[in-house]
Amino acid sequence: MSVNISNRSFRPYTGEKARITRAYDYLILVLALFLFIGSFHLHFALTVGDWDFWVDWKDRQWWPLVTPLMGITFPAAVQSVMWTKFRLPMGATLCVAALLIGTWITRIFAYHYWNYFPINMVLPATMLPGALVLDAILMLSNSLTVTAVLGGASFALLFYPSNWPLFGMFHVPVEYGNGQLTVADLFGFEYIRTGMPEYLRIIERGTLRTYGQYAAPLAAFCSALLCILMYTLWWFIGKWFATVRYLNKI
Amino acid sequence: MKQLLIKCMASLGFILSLYTLNIATVMAHGEKALEPFIRMRTIQWYDVQWDKQKFNVNEEVSVSGKFHVAEDWPVSVPKPEAAFLNISTPGPVLIRTERYLNGKPFMNSVALQPGGDYNFKIVLKGRLPGRYHIHPFFNLKDAGQVMGPGVWLEITGSPSDFSNKVKTINGEVIDMETYGLGNGIFWHLFWGLLATAWLLWWLRRPLFIPRYRMLQAGGLEDELVTPNDRLIAKAMLVGVPLLVLAVNAMTISEYPNAIPLQASLDQILPLSAQVNAGVVDVETLKAEYRIPERSMEFTVKVNNRSENPVQIGEFSTANVHFLNKDLQAAYQGDSTSMTAFEGLSLENPAPIQPGEQRTMTITARDGFWESEKLNGLIRDADSRIGGLLFLYDSVTAARYISSITAAVIPKFN
Repeated sequence: MSVNISNRSFRPYTGEKARITRAYDYLILVLALFLFIGSFHLHFALTVGDWDFWVDWKDRQWWPLVTPLMGITFPAAVQSVMWTKFRLPMGATLCVAALLIGTWITRIFAYHYWNYFPINMVLPATMLPGALVLDAILMLSNSLTVTAVLGGASFALLFYPSNWPLFGMFHVPVEYGNGQLTVADLFGFEYIRTGMPEYLRIIERGTLRTYGQYAAPLAAFCSALLCILMYTLWWFIGKWFATVRYLNKI
Repeated sequence: MKQLLIKCMASLGFILSLYTLNIATVMAHGEKALEPFIRMRTIQWYDVQWDKQKFNVNEEVSVSGKFHVAEDWPVSVPKPEAAFLNISTPGPVLIRTERYLNGKPFMNSVALQPGGDYNFKIVLKGRLPGRYHIHPFFNLKDAGQVMGPGVWLEITGSPSDFSNKVKTINGEVIDMETYGLGNGIFWHLFWGLLATAWLLWWLRRPLFIPRYRMLQAGGLEDELVTPNDRLIAKAMLVGVPLLVLAVNAMTISEYPNAIPLQASLDQILPLSAQVNAGVVDVETLKAEYRIPERSMEFTVKVNNRSENPVQIGEFSTANVHFLNKDLQAAYQGDSTSMTAFEGLSLENPAPIQPGEQRTMTITARDGFWESEKLNGLIRDADSRIGGLLFLYDSVTAARYISSITAAVIPKFN
């Protein structure tokens, strides 16, 4: 067993051993990448689903609430393993990057080439800014509590402003059919989705009206609070499911 | 072992090749899947017409017609408080440019009233060439899709001919096919490159086993996370939020008139009564389905309050039309292929005179009951039938429509 080695007697691997451990790094990285592309993408599609699929679902109430809340899950679990076992502060960025790779592949091949939707109608949102901040906070604080509170909240609060540069232009109004629509709404009307009638959209439902028309910041703060809890929960899920017993045998 | 493997592979290849040889375009999209009582007693379509069935990419085509919302709405189906008039297509091979209900444009879902009469029109524009089977239909919230009659549309030309330009309220003309795509790709690439740089910063050094050993050894934290790492993380912690907020502020100032997604329900009142308008009343006394003959026999009481004799010309349900062969000239139905031209027979074919009340038997007989899976009604929890009965004025050819309904009694012999 190589655990509990005294740092006085610690000798880094050199030569063939170093080469093999590096090959092992690459093997794990490639496997992890495919694992996260598949599993996180599936998890995200099943939980966030239409809010991320369609431009006319990206509203100011539910989209900023549900997307970070479901998006912080895998990053928290992977961070807990990569930080506590390896001091690698890149779990969140790795997960979100893998998610985006999977999402872009799906949007191009399944939505565009297979189902003919224009790609701009199915542009994915990005959570990379929040993931970078989450990794930085974990590294600098080395604390679950601080990362959950500050990192989880930042992950949620940064989501809407980091995506507004992508999607703000789809909220420009258009006069259409004696009414006012956003460009995004017009996508939903014009580009026919047989199984996706307008009434299915879960947008603008609820009573976040107390503070006038500022629904997005309220949704973001609500999401921030929930992300703190979700981060902690998934940190422990990552901890429970991870094992280093095979490393201990090396 | 090797031979067994080869045999298995050869068998698998043979089976797969059979599937490959039999690849065929799907000819249906679930229009018969919904339970028959829902198809017959919710949205009752009639007079559905397409203005053309062959057209070019970028050319417009329209479908128009009428429907009656059945009074005898099934108790197990939620009331149509949110319904969406849609078009069944294999993806957006056409785009929907206009849609009208009772002459009024509407963009959202709409509340329908049981017993109400409506006319509709949808304007579409060809986007991708091909031959497609298309239906107008209603998505009914919590119930499913009630199909209108389907037709084959052929779109010719090249996909590159398609354009979809829209003018925003600001006066800017945008191309819906590419609007915002370059900007979206730019921001994904920007954050993607930053994330890649962060990942590579860590991936360039030995990772799992060496770092695990160092961590277990203790006292080597400074080697695992160096001052340079900390400096970069601090820069990221400050820089990323600042950049996000700055770019967000720039976007807000660039699109000051941006509005939230619109989510209203359109309110459109029904037309004055077109069906059950009170001139000719029809009451269904009994309905029997004779399974061996595939025929539905209705006993109806017709009360002709008009000034001229009337004759029964058609019974229509779930887009199947049973015609009285003696009155086919009066048929004003849609261009569907689901028409039994001699499917309706009357016990007493003599015209019903003004002021006359006649109780009579009418029989709708055709294989459509089976091929359209309407005969499944007798095995349903709700075995009531509904449909539209069309009567014609013998003098003026005016049309009177009654929505009839009755419990169905199966006859097995």
